[in-house]
Amino acid sequence: MNKEYINIALADDDEDDILFFTEAFEELRIKNKVSTFKDGIELMIYLEKLEGELPDLLFLDLNMPKKSGMECLEEIKANRKFKDLIIAIYSTSSSEEDVENTFVLGANIYIKKPNNFEKLKKVLSEVVTTNWQYHTNSLNKENFLLRL
Amino acid sequence: MSLTPSKLLKIIFGIGLFVILCIGGFTYRHLNSLSKTNEVIKETYTLRSELDNIISNLKDAEVGHRGFLLTHDSLFLKPYQESKQKIENNLARLDTLILANQSQQLNLDQLEIDISKRFVIFNKSLDIADDKIILSEDILLLLHEGKIKMDRIREDIAKMLDYENKLLLESQEKNEQAIGVTPLFLYGILILTLILLLMAYAKINDDLKILKDNNEDLQVFKKLTEQAEIINNSATWIWDIVNNKFEFSDNLYRLVGEEPQSFEPTLENFFSYVHEDDREGFGQQVNLMIKKEDLPFATYRAVHKDGTVRSLRAYGKLMDTTIGEKFLLGVTTDISDDVKNFETIEERNLELVRNNKELSDFNYVASHDLQEPLRKIQTFISRLETKESENLTEKGKFYIEKIKSSSARMRMLIEDLLQYSRTSNSDSEFKKTNMNMLLEDAKQELSDSIEEKNAEIISDSLPTMEVVSFQIQQLFINLISNSLKYSRSGIAPKIEITHQEVLSKNVKVLEKSLFKYHHKFTFSDNGIGFEQAYGETIFELFNRLHGKTEYSGTGIGLAICKKIVENHHGVILAEGKPNLGASFIIFFPFLK
Amino acid sequence: MKLFLKFDFTKISNVVLQEKLNAHNLKYQQSAFGEIELLEKVSAQQLEAFNDSIKNYGIYIIEDAKNIIVQKIKDAIMEMVFSEQNQISVKTSVFLSEKLNQSYSYLSNLFSEVTFTSIENYVILQKIEYTKTLLIKDELSLTEIAYKLNYSSVAHLSKQFKNTTGITPSAFQRIILKRKEIRTDQ
Repeated sequence: MNKEYINIALADDDEDDILFFTEAFEELRIKNKVSTFKDGIELMIYLEKLEGELPDLLFLDLNMPKKSGMECLEEIKANRKFKDLIIAIYSTSSSEEDVENTFVLGANIYIKKPNNFEKLKKVLSEVVTTNWQYHTNSLNKENFLLRL
Repeated sequence: MSLTPSKLLKIIFGIGLFVILCIGGFTYRHLNSLSKTNEVIKETYTLRSELDNIISNLKDAEVGHRGFLLTHDSLFLKPYQESKQKIENNLARLDTLILANQSQQLNLDQLEIDISKRFVIFNKSLDIADDKIILSEDILLLLHEGKIKMDRIREDIAKMLDYENKLLLESQEKNEQAIGVTPLFLYGILILTLILLLMAYAKINDDLKILKDNNEDLQVFKKLTEQAEIINNSATWIWDIVNNKFEFSDNLYRLVGEEPQSFEPTLENFFSYVHEDDREGFGQQVNLMIKKEDLPFATYRAVHKDGTVRSLRAYGKLMDTTIGEKFLLGVTTDISDDVKNFETIEERNLELVRNNKELSDFNYVASHDLQEPLRKIQTFISRLETKESENLTEKGKFYIEKIKSSSARMRMLIEDLLQYSRTSNSDSEFKKTNMNMLLEDAKQELSDSIEEKNAEIISDSLPTMEVVSFQIQQLFINLISNSLKYSRSGIAPKIEITHQEVLSKNVKVLEKSLFKYHHKFTFSDNGIGFEQAYGETIFELFNRLHGKTEYSGTGIGLAICKKIVENHHGVILAEGKPNLGASFIIFFPFLK
Repeated sequence: MKLFLKFDFTKISNVVLQEKLNAHNLKYQQSAFGEIELLEKVSAQQLEAFNDSIKNYGIYIIEDAKNIIVQKIKDAIMEMVFSEQNQISVKTSVFLSEKLNQSYSYLSNLFSEVTFTSIENYVILQKIEYTKTLLIKDELSLTEIAYKLNYSSVAHLSKQFKNTTGITPSAFQRIILKRKEIRTDQ
């Protein structure tokens, strides 16, 4: 992986959360490029049109207007073009059923939005490193499940 | 009605008939033997007269013979010849009379020989008398000899008569003997027959009385039924399927708003009272009733002439009689009130379900949506703390600290409320789950605080049960964290989890349970415990036994436990002893 | 029809590598897994062409010496974790310093510098990944897996699994099973 930066996409309708998210990445030592989308439809249009490389990581809020994160997840998983995309659910909910359902549908990471900025940074950094581990060590991505 | 009386009567009449037949038989036999005796007497009489005739004819022959001897006049020879002929006839008749009797036959043979010998002597003396010598020596001798022969004949006849007398006597004696017992016997049998007939009569009388009593009871019962029908708003009907004839009880007419027996009881007439929309369905039900010979219920609406609509329910059962008739016996009830009540209850239930759903939706949405702004408040505080901390005065930092702890508490409350409203969701899936695994997962979840408190958790091997696994895991987590939280300071928490299967009837709180068996789980700890008086309130929502500052808690955890246990149709109890520990006992029903 | 495959990545890598080396007419000698000695002088152009051709397979030429050592550490760890005889009961630190003939602190620092993670974490990651593959195969119980991977107890493995992935081994197994069910349904 000789890229200079990590390519990240986030779909979330909450401006404050986007702010926290981008600020957290700014404060991390990792070089990154974050693209944000206000709802599921905007995200899907971007992904469908994408010709070059897929984002290294896609963060999905579950509760979004127009198209929910769950719907996006199902659409992405049904499309072979996105089979290598690593998907992280980024949600307020921490219900066991939600967590398990998204994992079963093919999400790799489930993040409950933390209520503390430092924790958010820690969580995001952990996601990026784990993802990198999987990438650099050719681990089986089918088995990539992480809950934070 | 019992069959024995009629059977008894049959037996009595049978015996009577048999006895009368016997009497007839006996009488016939006796008359028969009487007429036989008569015949014997008649025969004896004829025999006797024949024998007498022989003697008299012999005498005539003797007289003729003597006259000739004296007179030599052939005039005397004529009676002699005639009597000789007569005697021969007599003998011939005798022979036929005694044909059956051998000893008499012998006697008769002897008589015949003696008679012929007598006639030999007659002839000899007549031959000699031709010589015209009266009373010659030879004749005298012959006369003597003739006398002897005559005596012999008399003796023979006497012998025969004696014998005949003897026979007559014997037959008479026999007859008398037989006839002697017969009248007594016949009389006895007649008396017996009379008694039997009397008994039968008494029996018939008795039965008639019972029949009358039963009839009266039936009348009373009919009246009662009529009354009951009116009070219960029900009616009965009989449908003779073979002849397609109906019988409607009075109240059936009233149920369709008519006077009793005011129209001819036919299916067509009754159909005109059935609500238009229900006619087709009711017709099908009726057909089914005949086919299946038994039908749960046919429900339909009846419309009275004044427009009143009532809901009726009919039930029919087929009865086969032995003579090939088929009756459908039916009961029809007015269920209008039930239908109305049911509708009201249904409506209320729906309302209740709606209200409950609204409430739990509200709870879920409220707690879920409240999380968002709270999380932001907390995150912004954390930003303030790290980025702007040097710009804040000590007081400002203190206030921030206060905001932090308040929002942390609010977070805890919201999370617990959310958890509580999630457990209210009843659409979760029940699956066979190994409880050991759920306990292991719960311990995993709490591993940090278990380690921190240096707690020891001992558990029995737990069963596999059909549960909502998320909920049971939550239950275990809540109970264990409760024990960890309310541990005594300075004493390492020790939590014991035991399991056993119990018979419901042996446990007081389960006595009314429909399940025979329950799993009993006990979570006991060595913590601060509680006064047993709080054993029930401890499970109430927002109920806390301790101050907020003393032990952090929301008062929701145990309410969640109770809810989860109730979702699984179980019972949860709390037992506590201050400063010794608490036990939570859970019962889950199961089938063996 | 669905097929579930198991890969021998080492073998695949070796076969691909050999094919590509032969295709580019490179004379070589394989000294260890992931280490090739070129026997003749090769131009930079030739090397770039070779590099381009193997990129698609996810194989990269590590030029840096540090990277080489890190790769060796990783290979050693893999050998340790996946070894069929499993019972390498010596400590990771001892095993690595003996194997690579360097002090452990040197190796450890170097590893962290290059990979942004510690050797310990890397070992754990590998062990947990191995646990996952074993769990999916569903031939061994968690207790047996714990024994095979040299854990002191199941609880220890469970805890490490949960700490690394955020979910319990049983939840992991359940999720993968449900995923397969969904896929076979489709």
